[in-house]
Amino acid sequence: MEVKVTTEAAATVAALIGRLDTLAAQEIAPQMDELKNVDGTLVLDCTELSYISSSGLRIFLTLRKAAAEKGGKVIVRNISNEIRSIFMMTGFLNLFEIQ
Amino acid sequence: MNNLFRYISRSISRKLSLWIVLFAAIIFNIALGFMFTQSLKAVREEAISRATKELDNTVLRVNNILEMVEIATDNTDWLVVRHLHAPDSMFSYSRAILQNNPKLNGCSIAFEPYFFKDRGKYFSAYSYNDGETIHTTQEGNDHYEYFYMDWYQTVKLLDRPGWSEPFVDVNPDVHTSTEIIASYSKPIKGKDGSYIGTIATDISLGWLSETISAVKPYPNSYSIMLGEGGTFFVHPDTTKLFYQTIFTPTLEKPDPDLSDLGHAMLRGEDGMKELEVDGVDSYVFYKPLGETGWSVAIVCPESDIFGGYNRLRHMVAFIVVIGLILMLLAFSRIISSELKPLRSLADQTDTIARGNFSEVLPEENRSDEIGRLSHSFAGMQKSLIRYVEELKETTATKASIESELKVARDIQLSMLPHIFPPFPERKDIDLYASMIPAKEVGGDLFDFFLRDEKLYLCIGDVSGKGAPAAMLMAVTHSLFRAASAHESDPSVIVHHINETVCLDNTANMFVTLFLGVLDLPSGHLRYCNAGHDCPLLYNGGMKALDCLPNLPIGVLADMKYTTQECTLTAGTTLFMYTDGLTEAMNADHEQFGQERVDALFAGCGEKGMTPRQILDSFWEGVHGFVRDAEQSDDLTMLAISYTPNPFATVLSETITLNCDLARVPELNDFIFSICEKLKLDPTVTGQVQLAVEEAVVNVMNYAYPDRGKRGFVTVKAMSDGHELRFVVIDSGIPFDPTAKEKADTTLSLEERPIGGLGIYLVRELMDSINYERVDNRNILMMIKNI
Repeated sequence: MEVKVTTEAAATVAALIGRLDTLAAQEIAPQMDELKNVDGTLVLDCTELSYISSSGLRIFLTLRKAAAEKGGKVIVRNISNEIRSIFMMTGFLNLFEIQ
Repeated sequence: MNNLFRYISRSISRKLSLWIVLFAAIIFNIALGFMFTQSLKAVREEAISRATKELDNTVLRVNNILEMVEIATDNTDWLVVRHLHAPDSMFSYSRAILQNNPKLNGCSIAFEPYFFKDRGKYFSAYSYNDGETIHTTQEGNDHYEYFYMDWYQTVKLLDRPGWSEPFVDVNPDVHTSTEIIASYSKPIKGKDGSYIGTIATDISLGWLSETISAVKPYPNSYSIMLGEGGTFFVHPDTTKLFYQTIFTPTLEKPDPDLSDLGHAMLRGEDGMKELEVDGVDSYVFYKPLGETGWSVAIVCPESDIFGGYNRLRHMVAFIVVIGLILMLLAFSRIISSELKPLRSLADQTDTIARGNFSEVLPEENRSDEIGRLSHSFAGMQKSLIRYVEELKETTATKASIESELKVARDIQLSMLPHIFPPFPERKDIDLYASMIPAKEVGGDLFDFFLRDEKLYLCIGDVSGKGAPAAMLMAVTHSLFRAASAHESDPSVIVHHINETVCLDNTANMFVTLFLGVLDLPSGHLRYCNAGHDCPLLYNGGMKALDCLPNLPIGVLADMKYTTQECTLTAGTTLFMYTDGLTEAMNADHEQFGQERVDALFAGCGEKGMTPRQILDSFWEGVHGFVRDAEQSDDLTMLAISYTPNPFATVLSETITLNCDLARVPELNDFIFSICEKLKLDPTVTGQVQLAVEEAVVNVMNYAYPDRGKRGFVTVKAMSDGHELRFVVIDSGIPFDPTAKEKADTTLSLEERPIGGLGIYLVRELMDSINYERVDNRNILMMIKNI
């Protein structure tokens, strides 16, 4: 599992690459904590995210709540159909802006 | 006639006045009857005495006349005997009698033939009075041989004086009159005492008749006189004179009364007889006439005697009848007017009977019974109005309660499962249940539902019936649902229910309850009985489930309930019921009883009946037993047949991991390989991977809170080609992830908790999950249909 953070115009883009299972979520937690401090728009690029567990969903939700507190926003980009169905099940589609 | 009776019986005044008049008529009748009888007697006696007196007078008068004739004759006889030597003097003697007695008709002084030799064969000095002058002549000659006449012969033969029967003097030489006369004849005796002739004095019967007929005590009465043979010689009907006797009518038609009268008169008796004379009811008074052998009678028509009396009687009867009619009318009018308030009361009652209660009665100021009745009636009417109002209210309230109860019944029945079969998609379980309340709503309950692979079920009976029982039933039902939503231990669920029910149980009601949780994959049944009837089991043989009695719910707040358990083998049928079944009562107060229930259920089991058939057959049995008797208690039954699906394993692999999240990729690989072997598509594979990972991570995080003692978690994968089962087993603290509340995915961002999605995802991704704690191990099974 790898997270590549880049800056793109007015947004910070975090590209999630690989499987975000429980273990991976634990591994990337510090990195993701930093993203909580991002001002403005945070884009989570899921183009190469193949799997997400509930731990991964927790991270997404934590970021979303942090952004909301600061008045920023979180955009989820390019999610696969599998992950989209997980988002649907959990009601995340209503919480995130999906691109 | 019937109409008349109906007319009379319809009115009291008519009836009453009719009765009064009837009694008055009877009394009048008796009084007048007595009076009339007495007057009749008096009138009769008066008539008899009057007629008798008249008759006596008449007879006396006639006797006087006759005596006068006899004396005159006797005197003349004396002269004749002295002057036999001078026959011509006889003429002067006979003449002298007539001169002295103008009422006499004639007198013959007749001698035996040739008595006077010089005078030839005939010598009879005869004088007669033609009304103007007295003629004297010698009457004997060849044409009138007087010595052959009755008046002459009879005396001669009898040798004593006597009266002849009346006769018509027919001496044509002397005179042509046909006067009817009677003669008193006396034999003339010579000095030697020998018979020498007869002196006969005639008296006109017309004259006698006039004398007798002059006696008329009553206007239509008349007199008769009979000769010795019964011949009439006085009778108003002159055609009867001489030619008819009193016996003549009896020749045509026997008339004993008339014959008796005739004989009595001829025998010279005097007296009175009542009989019909010439067709007229008459009183006949009769008396003999001296020595003549004749008899005089006065015939008085009864109508004459009693004429006045009868007129009086008719008048009185007429007055009485008129009086009674007037009395009838008057009483009828008076009573009718007295009863007028009653009629208006009757009309009033009719009005009230038609439902018009508010019609006001006319005020009645009378103080008699009718006044009191009117008063009472008015009181009754007021009460009636009040009662009807109350009744209307009560009825409306009752109707409203009834309709509310009906709604309550619908609600109650809809609260319980009512769609059968309840789990049509499941092959391993079939279930049927019914609850029939004795009243609109009942205190019985049953419920069941599937959570994961477990069937939660309960059956119970609230003490009492009707609405109060129904309320507690609803409470118990809700508590069952609430308590078993996140709990699978029956005793814990029962404990929760008991606690809450005891909390405010002021009515001291209680509930018997049997509560069971059947783990469908294993057939493992855990149950807790709170004072309810033990369910029956059938699997080749019938037996009751072994149940601790415990106390019913609602009795003791801190009651410790115990969970019992057993395992149902395939093909087992479970039958639960409330005491409404065993205590179903027929008209003879005989109960259906446990023995019948056992026998019937055993029979159903032997026939391999489905739950629905079992309940139907119980219904039939109970109805056949109870028949028309009213259902005495709520009746609830629930039957379950358990036939677990056979699972033919085609794949079975196990992995055991220590509780370290680092082992998660290993787990994912294991699952991936399983999916690959079963050739599942990537989407399903991803779902299965996520579900199992979540379940295992859950165990790793929560099953072993004591960090110093890390445990293991075993994942077993099995498939029969139709479904894929994962069983996650650990020996950590009891932890039932299925009992956790389902995450709410509709909450807003702010309300949304960070965690709690793991088990939620497991449920969503797998087709079924099931938790069991067996032998101190948590066993979570997840099933995915493939």
